[in-house]
Amino acid sequence: MLFNSLSFIVFLMIVLAAYYSEILNWNNKKRMLLLASYIFYGMWNPPLVILLWISTMIDWTAGKRLAVEENQRKRKLWLYLSMAVNLGFLGFFKYGDFLLENFTLMMQSMGVDYQARPMDIILPMGISFYTFQTMSYTIDMYHKKTERARNFLDFALYVTFFPQLVAGPIVRAKDLITQFYEPKKATVNQFIWGVFLLTLGLFQKVVLADTLLSNTADTVFKPGQVLNFWDAWSGTLAFSGQIFFDFAGYSTCAIGIALMLGIVLPDNFKYPYASLGFSDLWDRWHISLSSWLRDYLYIPLGGNRHGVTRMYVALMLTMLLGGLWHGAAWTFMVWGGLHGTYLILEKLQKKYIPFKITVWNGMFLALVTYTCVNITWVFFRAREFDTAWNMIKSMLFLNPEGTKLLESFDIIKVFVLIGILFCSHWFMRNTSVKEVASKISPYLLSIVWAIMFFLIAISQGSGEQFIYFQF
Amino acid sequence: MHLKKSFLIAILLSFISLSAWEIYWRSQGYHPTINDEKALWAKERAKLEDATQNDVVFLGSSRVYFDFQKKVWEKETGIKPIQLAVPGTSPLPALTDVVENTNFTGTVIIGVTPGLFFSTTYPKAPPWDRMQSNIDFYHNLTYAQKSNFFLSIPLQKNLVMMSADEEEWSDDIDLKALLRRQNTGERNGKTLAPPFYNFGDINYDRNMAMSERAATDTAFANSIIRVWNYFAGVSPPPDKEATTTYFLKDATKFLARGGKLILVRCPSSGGTRIGENKFLNRETHWDSLVNLVNAKTYHFEDYDQLKTLTCPEESHLSKKDAEFFTKELAQIMIKDNAISNLNTH
Repeated sequence: MLFNSLSFIVFLMIVLAAYYSEILNWNNKKRMLLLASYIFYGMWNPPLVILLWISTMIDWTAGKRLAVEENQRKRKLWLYLSMAVNLGFLGFFKYGDFLLENFTLMMQSMGVDYQARPMDIILPMGISFYTFQTMSYTIDMYHKKTERARNFLDFALYVTFFPQLVAGPIVRAKDLITQFYEPKKATVNQFIWGVFLLTLGLFQKVVLADTLLSNTADTVFKPGQVLNFWDAWSGTLAFSGQIFFDFAGYSTCAIGIALMLGIVLPDNFKYPYASLGFSDLWDRWHISLSSWLRDYLYIPLGGNRHGVTRMYVALMLTMLLGGLWHGAAWTFMVWGGLHGTYLILEKLQKKYIPFKITVWNGMFLALVTYTCVNITWVFFRAREFDTAWNMIKSMLFLNPEGTKLLESFDIIKVFVLIGILFCSHWFMRNTSVKEVASKISPYLLSIVWAIMFFLIAISQGSGEQFIYFQF
Repeated sequence: MHLKKSFLIAILLSFISLSAWEIYWRSQGYHPTINDEKALWAKERAKLEDATQNDVVFLGSSRVYFDFQKKVWEKETGIKPIQLAVPGTSPLPALTDVVENTNFTGTVIIGVTPGLFFSTTYPKAPPWDRMQSNIDFYHNLTYAQKSNFFLSIPLQKNLVMMSADEEEWSDDIDLKALLRRQNTGERNGKTLAPPFYNFGDINYDRNMAMSERAATDTAFANSIIRVWNYFAGVSPPPDKEATTTYFLKDATKFLARGGKLILVRCPSSGGTRIGENKFLNRETHWDSLVNLVNAKTYHFEDYDQLKTLTCPEESHLSKKDAEFFTKELAQIMIKDNAISNLNTH
């Protein structure tokens, strides 16, 4: 079920009515939320709820045993079981075809006439999110960093909680399960703020991403085109805006919906396009994934504990696998590899040519960072390397005779919108929407709110899927 | 933070602004209509799963869609037809869907609009891809999509601002369409397609009829004619051999399992007819096709009462003429034993 759909509005109203009714006690309210979460997921493809159940059962059992088991060998086995099942699901459903395709290519390059039929496996929505979330529980249990969930209901709800089930934020057990222990109820202000965040998230998704930017990005990234400088940049900037508004919009909706239930979810985006360098970027973009990769991949790989070279290797491996997490294609690996390279170069710069960031050079640095991020988006969005290379060449003035594909209005629209996006990220760097909203007049806030609602209503999207659902 | 105050004022402002928006577009002559979208097609396609030997299915492009009026057909034949025609598409993938994905052994009536029927078998070409995307949508339909569609119907029926056809008409009023109107085409030197205005009204039963405006306002009808002329200029040449071979494969299979196939050539007139006669003429296309297939075939030119019908925008009949055409053709087919008249059973 999509947040930007009528069925979700009806679904949410029913859930809220049941949640705030006096008939149900807290345990029954949690059971109702669990059932609602399965319905939320099953409305897309009911049989795939079974994967959620298996993942839940395995990690619940592993967590239970890890809580009491002292034998290190057995503890490791429980951890490996959880990882094998979760990563096995990911490997089969997400990377099955990709692995088969590359195996076939490898065999053919070795002169073996091997042909394999694609398995055409359906990708279960949000599998990358919920497997990472459940694994984090078991890994934390293994390292004794979190307490065992008090009961199965709380754990199952933690894995399946519908606001963040299919596209995050990926929440740690200690941050979410503990909230289920005591009855939760949003205050009036929390509830209204939750509605505001839901409106803001939908505005980002429906109006900014789908209505204003997606067409330009889709047009420009069609394969087989050699484009003009302005078209290539417009398409790339449009995609950078589209993916931010799409994903941050989803996270904002998720946080808002949870808040309406009195549950607090962590921020997932903090104005990333005004980042001062790439470490800063990864502290601001998809925070729940980058912190997951840091804690469960980069640090176990050695982090910065074993010398500079090992640290760079760990960093690059983390970013390459982070890229692969987004999709089963080499273009995603290149995206991750570029980010890894940026991070390494930034560390070298900080070591050998350090400089102090001031207000004056800060904005320039943010602009440089954003420009470099845009280069990576080309590989993220293009489905083939040819398309990506053509785009990069056009962006570097290397295709002066490239096709002028877009209308003037499209180009102006993208540059104005992305200009506003960049400036707003710059000015919001050290604050939050809530802080700004608390400082402005309630009348101004209501006007902004009404404008967003009006634009959502007249945008009339056909319920475009969120981009991150495919990851 | 006075959130409660902001919330209440925001609700009030939203209500006022959306009401004003609705009233404004109604004052401009718009009225609430159902959206012609994949979900509506899927609802109609689902009827095929339980269809009997008596059922009749229409496949084809916009001519079959506009020219056959379901109520008239039902009155004449005693059975409500299943309308699966989609504007601008080839009927070939739809026939494949009927043959390969159903056990239907009733009657399939296929509209042969030469420019589309003989257009292509390339899956990514628009006439094919558009039809196939409807078929794929139906086969992959989720419960969420189904419920979205049914929940949206009361809104579509009552609010002008909910109109957003998949055709992306030039006079659509959703935000994306309003922004599309700003494009002037001067930068890339491309000749922009002339504005394509919505000229039909569809109902929940998926019956399409030409709007009163298109039937009576010559200037408006001319704007549609300019679109046909534009399409004629940019369309690739037809692929008669490949399309015929493809069609015969499915037709043979369908006939072999006991289904009945009827081919119909709906009227066209004016410049469009002249163009069709010149580039896709009857002898080399229609006649050559009907000679290869064991099906009843009906060309409007062969019937005195039908050959004089005039299409206001050269390609589709007005609602009144479509009702006449449906009635006459149904009677002709009954007389011909091509279809049964369940009214007399």
